[in-house]
Parts: sequence; structure tokens; C-alpha cells
Amino acid sequence: MTTTPAIDIDRLNVTYGDFHAVKDLSFQVEQGELYALLGTNGAGKTSTLEVVEGHRKASSGTVRVLGKSPGDRRAVRPRMGIMLQESGFSPDLTVAESVRLIGRLSGRTDSERRVLGVVDLTAKADTRVSQLSGGEKRRLDFATAVYGRPELIFLDEPTTGLDIQSRDALWEAVEQLRHDGSTVVLTTHYLEEAQQRADRIGLMHRGTFRHEGTVAELTRTLPAAIQFSLRPGAPAPLVQAGPGPDGSYLIETFELQSDLKQLLDWAHAHEVELLGLSAAPTRLDDVFRAIDAEPVPA
Amino acid sequence: MLSIARSELTQILRNRAVLITSLIMPVAVAAFFIRFRETFGQIGSLGYIGAVIVFTIAAFSLYATTVTTLAARRQDLFLKRLRSTAASDASILTGLVLPISAISMVQVAVILGVFAGLSDGPADIPLLVLGVVATFVMMLALGLATAGITNSPEHAQVTSLPLTLGVVAVTSWVGITGTQDLTLLKRLLPGGAATELIVNAWNGGVPLGDSLVLLAPTLAWVVVAVALALRMFRWEPRH
Repeated sequence: MTTTPAIDIDRLNVTYGDFHAVKDLSFQVEQGELYALLGTNGAGKTSTLEVVEGHRKASSGTVRVLGKSPGDRRAVRPRMGIMLQESGFSPDLTVAESVRLIGRLSGRTDSERRVLGVVDLTAKADTRVSQLSGGEKRRLDFATAVYGRPELIFLDEPTTGLDIQSRDALWEAVEQLRHDGSTVVLTTHYLEEAQQRADRIGLMHRGTFRHEGTVAELTRTLPAAIQFSLRPGAPAPLVQAGPGPDGSYLIETFELQSDLKQLLDWAHAHEVELLGLSAAPTRLDDVFRAIDAEPVPA
Repeated sequence: MLSIARSELTQILRNRAVLITSLIMPVAVAAFFIRFRETFGQIGSLGYIGAVIVFTIAAFSLYATTVTTLAARRQDLFLKRLRSTAASDASILTGLVLPISAISMVQVAVILGVFAGLSDGPADIPLLVLGVVATFVMMLALGLATAGITNSPEHAQVTSLPLTLGVVAVTSWVGITGTQDLTLLKRLLPGGAATELIVNAWNGGVPLGDSLVLLAPTLAWVVVAVALALRMFRWEPRH
């Protein structure tokens, strides 16, 4: 395994006039990794991504992509595929023509039949882009990004507007590319996708990382939750919190397994039925919701 | 570059409205001037008619279409898409303006050919070609600059108007009144010197050296337009 990271960002700053979109951001994406860059709206992830892709100049800091400057299009672009957030295809070209044009300009070689097959658009090859649905345009975008199986692939909200079958098919194609060694950088609003797919997550808020790490590392910072309610007249359980306004109990814990066992033992001993019982580990959503509540680090 | 040019040609031909409106206008103007060539010959000269034909094509077929299509490609994010490939900025822009430049060249050659067949023909064909090429390069560069301040293809109808009407007006002024008076002003206006060059090339009787000097203001406009284009051209829509 080579030691050069696929992406190496050191103290990146992006400013627009007075607005500081990205502040002293540093991170690396290792080769073969699936890295999810997540954040609230306006967190700076699009600005970061645009600098890394070579669409925007950094105000300061260094960015290396596959060991090169992202501005060196001739050297870098043949090795990377970009799925843009908004498609950007000419409405007057057909699906096949669009793939052929962008594929050829990427500097890689592949067959348009293969990539259209990957995204199940073969039947639409001669359809003009203006006639495609939103989901079909996303799939066309994905097809051009994976044309020629690039080493590094940027997926900017790849599954927005896709039905569940297309989503599964897209992730299957991504898994195949990863199996062949490609590195993937992902942004998405579907947090469960990041939770399932990403090796590591960088969670941006107001231009900087609020958290970075594996899903387990991120969710470990917040408690898991046990919820249940009791029939009227049942004995009160030994928990720190009383019932909420709807009569249900919420136990937040970092010791899910032992606390759950304790609760079940108590219910068994007192012959109490726990209604609507649920016990869930912390989800990425909760990490997200907690962001705004946290104090901004100095 | 050629694959971009080919796809651009496909797009222009599929969405013909822009192409047809911009091609028809110069054809109508040229037909009118050629039909009444004796009258316009007396008002100005036959060279004046040649200059009007060249500038109407350069302003409408070439310049206005370039502004409109570049604004449309930017609005569709097609420019950003092309820039996310390995293609360089220069080859992207060259590829995009190549088809319309070629179409305009063919149009000017055909119409001037018809006009030459019906009249005496140009005195100095190489000089005429030089004048046409210089005019086209100037208008292309101005088109790139204008595209920078044009937000949409509809907006192009407004932003391209001052220059399309302006250069055609300059052509008529210079072509009809000559450059004996207000010489410097007329030659420095965009299209002024190029008009005089084309008139000279068609009518003859002017020493070649005097005509070649007229290239300088035109090339200066190319430099100004390229500088403006570098400052003003945008690849992505404003957010």
C-alpha cells in the first residue's frame, strides 16, 4: 500500500469577500477509502469539495489530490471522476452523446455501452437529456463520473431524487469500484447512507470540522436511547428521569447493554409490561442534531 | 477540442431557433443592399456594401450567436461540466466557438461571392480576406467579453444589442462619409478601421501600406476585448 493519501488538505481557507466559508481545514483521505464529507447547509463542504475538484481556488492552504495540485487538470482529471451536484448536461444532446463527449474529454477509455449498462440507461441512449427525469439525470451524471473506472471518484449528493432500486444499483456499482481499488469522496443528506457506507466521516459546521472519525467514533460521543411506557398503576421504575408529558420514559445511556438488562430484569421481577419498548444505538442524525447545541470550540 | 466542436455543432443544429434568427437577419440585409446596389453604390461605394455585409454577419451571425450560446451553456452548467474534464479552458472555448465561426465564414463567403458575381468584384481579395478575418476575431473576442455580463440566453438580447447596432452604425457612417474628416475618431471606433480596410480592399486604388496600417486599431480592439473577456468571462452562473 502506497503512503501517498488520495487527498491531502492542509489548513485550507476559502473566503468570499467578508464571508469565511472554510476555516483552517485539514484532513486526509487515504487511498481506497470511502470518505463522507457531511455538514449542515452552508457548512462549507461544497466550497471544500470545489477546491479539491479544482473548480475553485483556495484563499490559502495547500491541497494535493493524488499527489498533484488540483489545478493541474491535465495530470489530475484523467485519474478522477466527478459527479456534480447539479448535472450540467446539454439538454439538446442525447444520453449516449453526453457520455461519449464527457468520457472522451476525461482522457480515460471505456465503452459508453458499459457505463450506460451500469446505470441502467441503455434503453435511453438515444433520448435527449431534456427528456430525462431528475433521477435519470443523476444516473447519467454517475455514468460519466465512473467512465473509465477512475482512481478517485467524487459523488456530490449522488442519490438525491433516485428511487430505491436505482439507489441500490448505484451503491452496488460503488462497491464494485471500491473492490477494484477506487477512492470515493461522498457528500449526502441521507445520513443513513453515510452511516452504512463510509469508512470515515468528516462532519463540518461553520467552515470547520466539528467531528471527524469512523461512524463508531462519532456516535460514541452521544448516548444511546431506551424508550418505553407503562400501564397506569404500574410501579415506577428505578430510572433517573420520570415519565415525559405523554407518559413515556426516555433513558439516555452510554451503557446500553447493561442498562437495558437492568430494565428488563426489573420489569420481569415486577411483572410489568414495557409498552412500545425500543432500544437504539446513537444514530448519525443525533450527532447532527446535537451540533447546533454544542458550544463553538475556541 | 474537436469533440467539443462536434457536440456544439450538434446542439446548434438541434436547437435551430437561435441559429436561424441570427442567420436570417444578415441574409435579409445583404439581399436588400445587393438588390439596390446601384443606389447604395452612389450613396457610398460598392466597397461600402461589402463592408455592410461583412459587419452584419459578424454582428448578428457570429457575435450575437456566440453571446447567446455561451450564456445558454453556462446557464445549463454545461461549461462547468466541460471544465470538470481534462480539457483546458482554451480548448473548451475554441471548441465552443468553432462551429459558429465556420458557419459565419461560409455565410460571408457565399454572400460576398454572389455580390461579386453581380458587381465588379473586389480589387484585392487577399486584403479583403484579411479584413474579414480581423473583423471576425474582434467580434469573437467582444462576444466572449459580453457573454461574461450576460446571465441567460434571453438576457443576451439586451446585452448584445449595443455592439451589434453600434458596429453596423459605425460601418455605415464610415462607409458613406469616408474618413477624410474626423479621421482619428472614425478609425478608433470599433469596426471603423476594419470598415475602411474592407472598403479599400473592394474598391481598390489605395496603396497597400495605407490599408495595412488600418489593421492596427482592429487588432487593438482584439487586445482590449481579450483583456475584457479574461476579466469578465464566467464559467458558472452567479449564485
